[in-house]
Amino acid sequence: MEHSVREEGKTVIVGVSGDIDLESSPEARRVLLAEVDKGSPVLVDMSGVSYIDSSGVASLVESLQMARAKGGDFALAAVSESALRVLQLARLDKVFAIHDTIEDGLADGG
Amino acid sequence: MVSAETKSPEQSRDGLAGSLELLAEMGRDFAGSRDVDGALLRALERITDYLDAEGAALFLLEDKGRLLRCQSCIGTAEITGLTLKSDQGIVGHSVQNDAGEIVRDVSLDPNFDSSVDKQTGYTTRSILCAPLSVQNERLGAIELINKKSGDGLFSEDDLHVLEVLCSSAALAVLNARMAEELVEQEAVRRELELAAEIQRNLLPPEPKGDSVIRGINIPARTVSGDFYDFFTLPDGRVTFCVGDVSGKGINAALLMAKTASLFRCLGKTVNSPGKLLGLVNAEICETSTRGMFVTMAAGVFNPTTETVCIANAGHEPPLFMSRDGTTERFEAEAPPIGISPLVVPEEGYPEVSFSMTDGALYIFTDGVTEGALEDGSMLELEGVLEILNDTAGNSLAQRLQAVIDKINWGDGYLHDDLTILGLSAGPPAGDSDTLVVRKSVQGKAKNLKLLRTAVTDSLSKIGLEESMVGDIVLATDEACQNIIRHAYGGETDDHIDLEIFFQNRRLSIYLQDTAEPVDLHAIKPRNLDDLKPGGLGTNFINRIMDEVVYSHRKNATGNQVYMAKKLD
Repeated sequence: MEHSVREEGKTVIVGVSGDIDLESSPEARRVLLAEVDKGSPVLVDMSGVSYIDSSGVASLVESLQMARAKGGDFALAAVSESALRVLQLARLDKVFAIHDTIEDGLADGG
Repeated sequence: MVSAETKSPEQSRDGLAGSLELLAEMGRDFAGSRDVDGALLRALERITDYLDAEGAALFLLEDKGRLLRCQSCIGTAEITGLTLKSDQGIVGHSVQNDAGEIVRDVSLDPNFDSSVDKQTGYTTRSILCAPLSVQNERLGAIELINKKSGDGLFSEDDLHVLEVLCSSAALAVLNARMAEELVEQEAVRRELELAAEIQRNLLPPEPKGDSVIRGINIPARTVSGDFYDFFTLPDGRVTFCVGDVSGKGINAALLMAKTASLFRCLGKTVNSPGKLLGLVNAEICETSTRGMFVTMAAGVFNPTTETVCIANAGHEPPLFMSRDGTTERFEAEAPPIGISPLVVPEEGYPEVSFSMTDGALYIFTDGVTEGALEDGSMLELEGVLEILNDTAGNSLAQRLQAVIDKINWGDGYLHDDLTILGLSAGPPAGDSDTLVVRKSVQGKAKNLKLLRTAVTDSLSKIGLEESMVGDIVLATDEACQNIIRHAYGGETDDHIDLEIFFQNRRLSIYLQDTAEPVDLHAIKPRNLDDLKPGGLGTNFINRIMDEVVYSHRKNATGNQVYMAKKLD
């Protein structure tokens, strides 16, 4: 898994790519929680995610919960079809704010 | 036949030839016509014409021989539909005595009923009447009224001719009735066939591939008083039952249909077999027919824990047979359904739960144990056990079929409906399946990608759709994670062995580890409404796969996950 962090206005865009699985999800979790912890709105760029499993989804859930606790925004953008399928299986596709593109996510306040 | 006193010899020959010709004409008409009423009317016309009568009427017995109804009439007043008591008048007299009547002058005959003349205004002077009968079966009579020619009176010869013609007409009427009866019987048969089809549709569709549950129902007659059912609940548990309605025939079939429908409907929401049978009992008792009842055994199987919970309402005891051949039977502790709502405890019928690991459960009806063998003896429970032991290595479907085949031999007449249901929880042998992929890796997180790639490549190769491949890869990956986390307790050098088979549009996935046997009851999907990280993997597996069975390995230390997916 690869990741990148950049800022766009007040919003922090965290890009994750590759497979988010049992091996890589601890890193994804660490990166996401670190950014959410700072209190800025976080938009996760999922465009490069080729695979995500339950542990990857768990990292997203934990980040969302921390963001909610801190009153910050946490959203996903450019989620691939296969990743969306996994979120649907977990019935989380309505729990997360999911934007088609990064631009949509930023326009929505991230 | 023809008297020389009333006619010259020449006339007699003409008369004989004429009446024979008339007989032949009528015979042809009856034989060639499907419209018997029309043929009878034409025969009546011919007879009237030939015997030179003013009018004629054909009466048939009905209302179990109590009434004579005028079926058709010619010439005289219209009396079609007129009914007489079957002993009323000259016609009644003729029918009752099964003999022809000739009344030269009706006014002098005490049997003449003048009421019809009074109604119609017609004056009957002379009557000729001959019965329609075949052997001893009386059908009615043909009556001729008032001879037109000569002295205006009918002769004995006329009566003879009429009698001969009447016997031909009688045969035609009888034939028509028999044909009608055949048509009616055929209609009843067709109705029964339709009922039987509805019944067959009440049974669950035959599962494809190696299902854990199967059933067979063979009605003794067209319709069945037996039934079985099974269906999978949203959480993967399987609810099932076998029932036997007292009696046979259409009344039993209707009660069967009602009970089976109630079971399926209530079983979707009530997942305790004892409560479910209690509810079905309450409903059936509310509208039951006196004296009819249903024996029924029901259960709910949990494939995740490989346990089953069953309840028995007066049914032949379900039989559990373990792989080592030992058996256990579960006697009914409560009466059949439909007897009384009061005999069932408030909480429902008593339940018993047990593990299905390493064995199979069979529920059958007494038609099976009391089924007649080729030598005339009954199969009995011993016979059932013997067959199941002999076929222990076969698939569940083959085992059940072997039991049924023993009774339903050749043209053997079935005394009772045959029904058997089997539940066999262990993963089936995969030796006849086509191996799609086999891979063994050490139980480490970094190796999961290797497994995923291997599964993706092999499933793509056999032509699965990309989204389906994605789902199967996810389920397999999640099962492997569970093995690493929960069976091995973390990363290990020990292996995870993966095998995927494909047969009959069904994928069978086997994952084995060499860890200490896990508590199979502890493997549970978590509630998805409860938003929390972790524990999602088992949900994914259950939602993607059609069948998931966790078990301990039979011949080695370790655990096995069997997952199956039907591909439509």
